[in-house]
Amino acid sequence: MTDADASRSGEPSREAPPYEAAHAHPEGDATAGRLARTARRFGYGGLVVRTREAAFDADALRDRYGVDVVPAVEVVADEPSSASGAVGNFRPDFPLVLVRGGTDALNRFAVEQDRVDVLAAPLSGEGGFNHVLAKAAVEHGTRVEFDLGPALRASGGSRVRAIQGLRKLREIVDHYDAPYVVSARPSSHLELRSPRELVALGAELGFDDGRIHAGLAEWGRLAARNRERRSAEFISPGVRVDGCEENDR
Amino acid sequence: MKHLPKHLRPRWRYLAVGLEAWPETDLSRGPFQRELWYAAQNLLGDAGSADADLTVVRFAFGDGTGESVVRVRRGEVGRGRAALACVDAVDGDPVGVRVRGVSGTIRAGEERYLGGAGGFIDESHVELAASETTGRGRRRDDGAVDVAVGSTFVGATDAETSVPERSDPEHTDSNGHRDH
Repeated sequence: MTDADASRSGEPSREAPPYEAAHAHPEGDATAGRLARTARRFGYGGLVVRTREAAFDADALRDRYGVDVVPAVEVVADEPSSASGAVGNFRPDFPLVLVRGGTDALNRFAVEQDRVDVLAAPLSGEGGFNHVLAKAAVEHGTRVEFDLGPALRASGGSRVRAIQGLRKLREIVDHYDAPYVVSARPSSHLELRSPRELVALGAELGFDDGRIHAGLAEWGRLAARNRERRSAEFISPGVRVDGCEENDR
Repeated sequence: MKHLPKHLRPRWRYLAVGLEAWPETDLSRGPFQRELWYAAQNLLGDAGSADADLTVVRFAFGDGTGESVVRVRRGEVGRGRAALACVDAVDGDPVGVRVRGVSGTIRAGEERYLGGAGGFIDESHVELAASETTGRGRRRDDGAVDVAVGSTFVGATDAETSVPERSDPEHTDSNGHRDH
């Protein structure tokens, strides 16, 4: 059983369904339901809702639209100390905890925390990313997010800088084989783009075949892993309470 | 000028594109074509844009949804798709685009991938569940509801909105109110 699970999660990520991670109302301009509905039509297998304040019933949406809806929280803080408090508060309640990067201190904090799943938008502000952070991300299993949003929606110099940033990040992540996720960071159903469109865009930006798809699917793997860890049977990796133990007694 | 012999004519592929926007957006072919060329030029450069040769050959839009057929040179479908994905607004109005399929002729693309985009079937004052927001909601036959909140819109669905006189949103969803 456990072996089968392990081999399933280790199979090529091309098979796994792509996920998108979006901002929902009130942070964005569309409700979780509308995003889920559009995601299904666009060929996504799941939707991560980054907005903590969004009110929705994930199970009901899954039944209604046939997409896996994952409640998540994207911690936005100025300082690592306040981010740390927020991560501690939200970790028990959400399957996915993201920290929005943007400063060197926050980027470093996020990749050095086992409790943080994803370092979101690491190059969005003044922040940088380097080999030290990449190694920390490998060690602590923090996924680094490739933010395709500016490449899709920005223009002029800011778009050029964002694409430069993506290239630099890609080279570092590739070299250290750091875990990563890919997202267009849509904040409404109109900003959502289908997986094939993102793959086509990624090809223009120099992402190798399959990298974008693997990054989209990684959200789903991460959510599945964390849900298993949050379930009552889980004790630590490789150790779980099984039904048969009670029968043996 | 005399037509080129067949083996020298360019080969095309046709992208069947679905469009979506907020209810009051007025979208027409000219501005969409301009944004598409602009997006292609910015992403692919002049040379790449000329190669892809993205041309809007069919266009229909109304009531916040639309469809289009975009011609692209054979072998440049991926680049055309990438450029199309970068169209995020037309004249400042946000637009959602999605390639529904690719075909070898305009007709096959239209028959296979386009058609059936519904307009608004209903308009009423609705309440957004869970956020205490109310506004004029316009509802489509596929269950999408665009709610006007202040000067902007919020995209929602049937299940998440309720008409204040009707207490149960599930009820509204199953029966609809087409008979308005």
